Amino acid sequence: MIARVRAGQPEAYAELVRAHTSIALRAAAALGAGADAEDVVQQAFVKAYCALGRFRDGAAFRPWLLSIVANETRNTVRAAARRTTLAGREAALVGADPVIPESADPAAATLETERRAALLAALEQLSEEHRLVVTYRYLLEMDERETAEALGWPRGTVKSRLNRALRRLRRLLPDVRPGETREGGAPA
Amino acid sequence: MSGGQEEELRRLREELRAYGRSLDGPEGAAGGGTMAERVLARILAEQMPVPAAVPRSRLRAVRRWARTRRRSLLASLCGLLTVLALTPPVRAAVTDWFGFHGVEVRHDPSAVPSPGGRVPGCAAPVPLEEASRRAGFTPVVPEMLGPPNAVSVGALPHGRSLVSLCWRDDDGRTIRLDQFPGRLDFSFTKTVREQPQWLDVGGQALWFPRPHVLTFWMIDAEGRRFTREERTAGPTLLWSPTGTVTLRLEGVRSRERALEIATSVTGPSDR
Repeated sequence: MIARVRAGQPEAYAELVRAHTSIALRAAAALGAGADAEDVVQQAFVKAYCALGRFRDGAAFRPWLLSIVANETRNTVRAAARRTTLAGREAALVGADPVIPESADPAAATLETERRAALLAALEQLSEEHRLVVTYRYLLEMDERETAEALGWPRGTVKSRLNRALRRLRRLLPDVRPGETREGGAPA
Repeated sequence: MSGGQEEELRRLREELRAYGRSLDGPEGAAGGGTMAERVLARILAEQMPVPAAVPRSRLRAVRRWARTRRRSLLASLCGLLTVLALTPPVRAAVTDWFGFHGVEVRHDPSAVPSPGGRVPGCAAPVPLEEASRRAGFTPVVPEMLGPPNAVSVGALPHGRSLVSLCWRDDDGRTIRLDQFPGRLDFSFTKTVREQPQWLDVGGQALWFPRPHVLTFWMIDAEGRRFTREERTAGPTLLWSPTGTVTLRLEGVRSRERALEIATSVTGPSDR
């Protein structure tokens, strides 16, 4: 496909864009682009097109693209000097994307929302490296090799940092989980 | 390590994956087509060269370039498409072209823009009331210009609409007033290369004297930020008279006249 784009067929690039839009949007959102995610991704695709000449033959496109998305997200957030606050991100999450169906038990729904907020808060507390490796590996569901390529780290580093990040994350999280009842909670 | 810990980590991984998927939003993969269109439009509009693999030496690159005349031919076709891509009917054609796997280019000398660019007219016009209904807000009409010759409604991401009003001036040129739901976030001016002039139209307005591509930030009724990117063919005035709608006037060359038009906007028009 990339060979076809380089041979002067921009419509082949359309296929690449179509195939990777949803993961790129997810990456921008996960890395804090907020409401700008679409613009960030559009810009990233345009930059990727320009840089396609430097793309290494045989390399995977997705990690390469996502590192451009990550860069673009960082630039956007920085340029606007408006780091999405945790509160804002939570609001966006709760407001834009109701994870819980309306029919769900309201108590369980509240718990789910609280758990998600706690997860975000814990992610926020991780170091940049740990947050990145967790984001790429789990939020973006990339495998270890792709994560290593996207971050430009050796695979061993990815593995060890991921391990440490997960353990730290677990320690930062409260024990309450959706689907479990809270213990010792006196009725109000 | 205990089995309990392992189990907890496994559930944590699952939770993280579920969170990742929840970021996808309702559009999901369906957004890919629109994104592809927008990206192609940019690639064409900015006349980006075909991204050939970086060769080992410049000399070799030149030789290769000369050898593959087909490549340069395609590059110039891209240039031609850029010109065509500027007018709405052709934009539709480019969309078609994008949907299929072939390049179809027709030579159309009339598509060459006049010096200084041309303001695109209002495509697929609808009655003003119909536009209000479709867009979900009542567009304002500056008294100075009177009833528009044509009104069209376009779609913005996230279900927002844009209403465009078009007039023909005495020289047959188009004056166009785009109306976006939401107010301007003036902090975008920090990011623009060429600083606009700040004008007073009863509120703040920005005058961009030269043709350019402008990305401006806006805030919708719910307080969410979004951005618009607009190619302009000439001087542009940008302002938010009511706080709920942002106006972008294009096709008026004199700053004084643009100011007069802007100050003649009183509020949502009465039907």
